[in-house]
Amino acid sequence: MADGNQPKKILIVDDSDLERELLMEVLRGTGVKNDFLQARTGEEAIQVLGTRYNEIGLILLDWQMPQMSGMEFMEAVVKVPQVARTPIIMVTASGTDENKKKASTVNPNLAGYIVKPYTPDSLVDVIKKYII
Amino acid sequence: MSPKQNPELEKNAQILMKGTDALFKDRGQITFTKPAIMERKTIIEYEGRMRADGMEKFNNEPTYVSAVNFYVNANDMQKKKTLGALIIYVPQAYLAKLMRLLQYPPFDDEDESAMLDSCGTLGNIIAGRFKSGISNAGYIELEMSPFATYRNTFPLGVEFCPTEYDKYELKFDVENATRLVLELSMGPIPHR
Repeated sequence: MADGNQPKKILIVDDSDLERELLMEVLRGTGVKNDFLQARTGEEAIQVLGTRYNEIGLILLDWQMPQMSGMEFMEAVVKVPQVARTPIIMVTASGTDENKKKASTVNPNLAGYIVKPYTPDSLVDVIKKYII
Repeated sequence: MSPKQNPELEKNAQILMKGTDALFKDRGQITFTKPAIMERKTIIEYEGRMRADGMEKFNNEPTYVSAVNFYVNANDMQKKKTLGALIIYVPQAYLAKLMRLLQYPPFDDEDESAMLDSCGTLGNIIAGRFKSGISNAGYIELEMSPFATYRNTFPLGVEFCPTEYDKYELKFDVENATRLVLELSMGPIPHR
């Protein structure tokens, strides 16, 4: 829990407004009380992390994004001790084993991998141990 | 067919068709009115790019068009050495409904940026499913670009593999009318 017994926030990084909306709607619909922060690009997410890393308890990260991809974002953040321990879950349109392996190689602490389109149950199954 | 052309283009298009069918069934329980119509067509090229005009797909109705490119690896992606292109066309009048059928949250269908975003979102999930299907069929894992989206037409066309002359067009009907058209151009994909 963050200061003042507030649950930590979930940072959603996806270039699609609709995908971010869907994630928030599905999570709220399943009873998740955490607040959300949003970023449309990897660069924007790095800026958010840079100033608010201690508020963030979980990152839901898209793979295909313009300029900085989800993989490039992970490569950058795993080197920063303050945020390297923040769990990251990839939420992406392609769910091959090879993609999962690539993501885990870049980030050995990758907390999970969700393939779009997902069901509310499958989403909650993956993220439940990281949210309070 | 030139010897350099992809001999497995039809097989690739079938993977796209099956993946798209499965995606809509899984996510939205949408039943297509009839099986998708798959047709081989010649690519119309303009200054080295593939023409992607949406209005001609739906009797001059306004259309949203989204495209994704595929590459053999990250290095080729950086050098823009394109292997394939997948283009998604949805009539403007049906896009919001189609996304609702896929259980996406409602959005303002008079907001141009929301419409562009939703067409790109649809393109992304169709392309992602296709990429997984290709990998499961024994081909190498392709790299995929982020989506680009326009209303009616791609003004500069879409990058495609220069060895290819043909593409496949797939038409999907929902509620007794064509609501989704896909076009696939793909160079020979290496097998694993």
